[in-house]
Amino acid sequence: MTLMLRAAFVAALIATPAYAHHGWGGQEEAVTSLTGTVVQGVSMAGPHATMKIKVGGDVWDLTLAPPARAARSGLKEGLIPVGATVTVRGNRNLDHAKHEMKTIYIKQGGSEYHVYPDRE
Amino acid sequence: MSVAQFLTWLEHSPLGAFTRSLGVWSYGVINLVHILGIILLFGSILILDLRMLGAWRQIPLALLSRPTTRLAQIGLVVALCSGIPMITVKSTDYIGNPFLLIKFPAIALALLNVLLVHRTEAWRAHRVRDLMPSERNRLKIGAALSLTFWLTAITAGRMIGYW
Repeated sequence: MTLMLRAAFVAALIATPAYAHHGWGGQEEAVTSLTGTVVQGVSMAGPHATMKIKVGGDVWDLTLAPPARAARSGLKEGLIPVGATVTVRGNRNLDHAKHEMKTIYIKQGGSEYHVYPDRE
Repeated sequence: MSVAQFLTWLEHSPLGAFTRSLGVWSYGVINLVHILGIILLFGSILILDLRMLGAWRQIPLALLSRPTTRLAQIGLVVALCSGIPMITVKSTDYIGNPFLLIKFPAIALALLNVLLVHRTEAWRAHRVRDLMPSERNRLKIGAALSLTFWLTAITAGRMIGYW
């Protein structure tokens, strides 16, 4: 039992550089701009809204704001169709092996979505 | 069926589709209910376990055991009823997440421990008579295991989102 407790404690320590859906700690400072085609439209389910775009040969996981906040920027599910060309700006994952970006801004045609205006 | 296959199946289940369709506040609200369930579950268990470990000896165990056990049961049901839909929303995100593989075995061990404690003579007898030292020690072991397993489950559960 103490082994389990120790394992949990060690696991908690390892997990301290917290990112995933909690904060910006695992992202680069620099803002990256990407232009690609939507392969999976905006999903408003889960702790953060998400979408996937294809840039060159790579599929990027775009992490947006929590759903209610993403909705306030004007985003809705189905609004940006699969296959549409979008330009996005955000902070990519420190681990460049992961094509993941916390997304600040999305532009599709004449529509702009300021997901995190305070970070622009 | 591997864990990855199970999580993929779970995400594509009708419950997953239904939970995802509930609107922009749904995840936050389900998450809130899950936390309330855990508060009820662990808060009650903490009081009972600390009593069995020797705290507040002036309060008879028999007085505490019934309400804390009942509240913990309610908390468990609330946590299950919110946790299951929550995990179906984007189950495939959890593939390869080691905390998931700590959390659920820890819950299984915690529930097994409840079962074993409730089957002891010490547990049955505590409502009708004073316990012998050996019986009190049996309950202490159960209480220590209980706190260890539940704290492990809660820690691993919280860390899932940070992986």
